[in-house]
Amino acid sequence: MFPGIDGFHWTLGHVLFLSLFFAVVLTILVTVASAAWRTSRDFHSHRAIDLWWRSQFAELPVSDRRCRHELAGRVLSRTCDNAFDCRHCEKYSQFAVLPATGNVGPLGLDYADDRYYHRGHTWVKPEEDGTVSVGIDELAARLVGTPDLVSLPEVGQGLEVNQTAWRMKKNGHEIEVRAPLEGTVVGIGGPKEGWYLKIRPRLELREPATLRHLLCGPEVHGWMSRELERLQLQLHAPNTAPALADGGVLMPDLMNVVPPADWDTVLADTFLQG
Amino acid sequence: MASTVLTDARWITRGAERISLSRFLLWLSPWAVLLAVGVYAAALCLFYGLNQTNMDNRFAFGLWIFLDLGIIALGAGAFFTGFLVYILKRVELKPILNTAVVVGFICYSGAVAILMIDVGQPLRAWFTFWHPNTHSMLTEVTFCISCYLLVLSLEYIPILLRNRQLRRLPSFLVFEHQLHKLVPVLAAVGTLLSFFHQGSLGGLYGVLRGRPFAFRDGFLIWPSTFFLFILSAIASGPSFLVLIIATVEKVTGRKLVPQELYRRLAFISGVLLAIYVAVKCIDTLVWLNYTSPAAGFAPWQYYQHKGFGTPILFAEIILLGLLPAFLLTFRKTAASKPWLLTAAAMACAGVLLNRFVLTVQTLALPTLPFDDFLQYTPSWQEVASFAGVIAYGVIVYSLSYRYLPLFAAPKGRDSHVSGN
Repeated sequence: MFPGIDGFHWTLGHVLFLSLFFAVVLTILVTVASAAWRTSRDFHSHRAIDLWWRSQFAELPVSDRRCRHELAGRVLSRTCDNAFDCRHCEKYSQFAVLPATGNVGPLGLDYADDRYYHRGHTWVKPEEDGTVSVGIDELAARLVGTPDLVSLPEVGQGLEVNQTAWRMKKNGHEIEVRAPLEGTVVGIGGPKEGWYLKIRPRLELREPATLRHLLCGPEVHGWMSRELERLQLQLHAPNTAPALADGGVLMPDLMNVVPPADWDTVLADTFLQG
Repeated sequence: MASTVLTDARWITRGAERISLSRFLLWLSPWAVLLAVGVYAAALCLFYGLNQTNMDNRFAFGLWIFLDLGIIALGAGAFFTGFLVYILKRVELKPILNTAVVVGFICYSGAVAILMIDVGQPLRAWFTFWHPNTHSMLTEVTFCISCYLLVLSLEYIPILLRNRQLRRLPSFLVFEHQLHKLVPVLAAVGTLLSFFHQGSLGGLYGVLRGRPFAFRDGFLIWPSTFFLFILSAIASGPSFLVLIIATVEKVTGRKLVPQELYRRLAFISGVLLAIYVAVKCIDTLVWLNYTSPAAGFAPWQYYQHKGFGTPILFAEIILLGLLPAFLLTFRKTAASKPWLLTAAAMACAGVLLNRFVLTVQTLALPTLPFDDFLQYTPSWQEVASFAGVIAYGVIVYSLSYRYLPLFAAPKGRDSHVSGN
């Protein structure tokens, strides 16, 4: 194997054979080390979470990947191919100037106009001190009710957009809530406070592009009406055909009210989990 | 109230429909029992030694080596598919790449496990690396198979890390992403290693000057069996994948890959099989007319023993070689599922028969005037270890199919063709 070890001879065949063997082993090891190094580099350069999210996004149902402009009725049909990051979407400005033509009928849910919404059912409210408050929207709140357990990040922890910001547990189901934007946690609340995190965004809030990836205005209504439809179809009683309600409002604490539903799927679709 | 029924739904790829956990465990049970018996038999061999087998100094290669050669040949679908997809850019084969890697991993890990028992002194296995005999084909085989198993394990890791729960961890998924980007390098290394160990396994027999039934002339240091083994392995590998995928489709009741992909695999397998048969015919004629007579043996002497007559040669070359090559290549028969599966099974049986003949018939035939025709029947420990490897393969594949995205790379779950 090596010079000095019994059986090794300085012959062409021996040296050639072992050189080839070591070259192959070295190639394999370098390949693995390179993958590990690239992984570490991605984490240091904040790219890791983006890669992670994009991979998970690609696995989402097409119905969950609709473009915000379709939701607002600006275009007939468009699937997002940019992992909901409109900040880097070349087509954004092209469609954003078109008039919104979506239906704006009552939904029975309260969506304040001063907030921005992430597709993972969190809202972002800019505060005067340059931070933002983050909470879960009303649909998510009615779904989960009061969580059995909430695990929040520590103050000072950095978050990337679409990273798991905090976890909740309800009836044995773990829910991972995605961060709606990148920044540093400067305060933690909870269900009783009505907000979960205060975040100092990494980008300037004054910049219009900072919150561009979040839904606002007519897009929220289009998105929410589709989410309500999905929820009704998913929460149909066992052994019955899925059906849409022709009225009424969403009940609070649905996970306790409709225990036999396929909550794994419902929660995964609602909170954009893989 | 939360359901208390035992479920593994959280581990199953979203959008993929699977049988209930209890039914799955029921399916695994008999295989687990078979595996347990195999492990017990292997433990007996390792603890008490190779006297637990019916092999001896004269009949040193038996059922285990036949199994090794057989599954290594059939597992060639892994490297060959990787070669076609990553090196030759035949992207249409991508949907079966994951399943090819898993099948390859099972075949090679099973073969290495059996080799560890067969060596008899597994704790001294490192000797072959530390004090290599570079004049032995077996050394090359050992080095290449060890490295290739490492490559297959590395190719399996990205598939493993795509499990629904594992991929929730960013570090795993990012590592999987980065490793996946480097898989073409591994595919190229795997191709090189496979080429040489498949060849050297054949060369191993071809250089046996004391066994005229196996001894062959060749090119430079490589006897013709070196090239025949490579050809037969890459010809049967795609057929074996056809059989595996069709069996999984049958067992699960789902359509996993489009019919066109079957046809493409069949065509690749058929063409390569035809080339193999042609080369094999030339090799056999040269051996019968020149190589063997030069060693002092008339060809008929090899085929006068009961069970090892000329029909076995006919079966190997015509019945399980030329015929399936025709059926796999011909568009009409390849388009018919029953014909396709029959032909693929025949191609796999052909390569297994070839390995059986070279392993068992080579050692059974007398070479010296005072030699007898040897009889060998494997002991129950050998058979149980053999069956244990089959059970291991079924279990690993079943687990992989249930918890990993083995087929296709759907653009979102709505576009699942098959439900995977």
